[in-house]
Amino acid sequence: MDCKDAARLLEPYLDGELDRDEARALEAHVDRCAECRAALEALGRLRHAVRSEAPHYPAPDALRERIRQASLPQTSVLRRPRRVPAWWRLAAACFVAFIAGGVVTWVARPPASDQLSRDLFASHWRALAATSPVDVVSSDRHTVRPWFAGKLPQAPLVHDFADQGFPLVGGRIDYAGGERVPVLVYRHDKHLIDVYVMKDDASTRRAAHREGYSLVWTKLDAQPAAVVSDLDAQELARFSALLDGAR
Amino acid sequence: MTSTATASWVSELAERHLDAAYNLGRWLLGNEHDAADAVHDAYLRAARSAHTYAGGNARAWWLAIVRNCCIAALNARKRVTPHADVGAVIDAAALAGGARGADAEAGVQSAERRGLVERHLRALPVEYREALVLREIEDLSYREIADVLAVPIGTVMSRLARARANLQKALAEDTDHGL
Repeated sequence: MDCKDAARLLEPYLDGELDRDEARALEAHVDRCAECRAALEALGRLRHAVRSEAPHYPAPDALRERIRQASLPQTSVLRRPRRVPAWWRLAAACFVAFIAGGVVTWVARPPASDQLSRDLFASHWRALAATSPVDVVSSDRHTVRPWFAGKLPQAPLVHDFADQGFPLVGGRIDYAGGERVPVLVYRHDKHLIDVYVMKDDASTRRAAHREGYSLVWTKLDAQPAAVVSDLDAQELARFSALLDGAR
Repeated sequence: MTSTATASWVSELAERHLDAAYNLGRWLLGNEHDAADAVHDAYLRAARSAHTYAGGNARAWWLAIVRNCCIAALNARKRVTPHADVGAVIDAAALAGGARGADAEAGVQSAERRGLVERHLRALPVEYREALVLREIEDLSYREIADVLAVPIGTVMSRLARARANLQKALAEDTDHGL
């Protein structure tokens, strides 16, 4: 791959739109080429700026109510249309504007940890949608760790918890928080569990829930680890404790 | 689907993705009132034309209707005020203010910068802005964006590339520590 090909693929890569082979080929090029790496990092910073600084406007309650009213079956024959007094509508509008102002201000300033949560959920969902959630398929931790060691400065501690009901499926490398992060993939019944082993910096880390999936934080070998899955809270806590206890 | 089932399907769909719809409206139309009206129109239109939904991504189908209502509102606005693109005038004024702020003390700088990203995003041509908002703020895939905008995926990619390049350039010009 030359720089011209790479330049064309940087954005689809960042957007999670490349298949595994294309993504690997691009990563191999970016590892070698400082210029393309700088371009990828600049795109990552731009993404971070837009996602953390451009406001997301939630729908005002008044609009939600309008849609709800419009969706009710039309029974105007039986019920006279009710006119809301003008002063009441004005008062309601002022109130909503006041609340919405507060909400937008709040939403417009998401902490950096929200960005990381988004990345982690997005990565997990991408992996679920891909043909395979792992790049190295192995239940053998002695295969997975060396595979990471060849690709990242620091390979994570890899354990198999098959005896406890969480067999190791394999590993992959993904992009989260603007960095390449090792991901350990486990399975529990039909549920897939991604463990992102992060750098030990001082940033705040929060649990989060999105669309039936959970993100919880634990430790793995003294490094912070994010666990993303659709497991129920109890099983997730049990698995987190296993990771935390691994030596 | 029976008509009652269709109606409840549309209202569920609209309610589930109401934040996404309203956010898109805000970014395209610039104010709360017009955005809410466009989403309301879109809902009525969706309820009427639910039978035309031919499978596929339902969120993209709904957002495509919202987006069409927003574009219709933008066009109507242009007909009313043929000369002054009010949004552009306001954006230009706001940008001038932002540029002055760049010299301000460090404490103010991050707030100024926050405003800068937002203002530069608003100043993008609408076809770049909508693509970037759907990708970065709503987290839609290329396929979904293509469905919402009714353009090929290649067009989505080139619009995103232009949007990002323009935004990078604008931010680099305005801040010493360019992105």
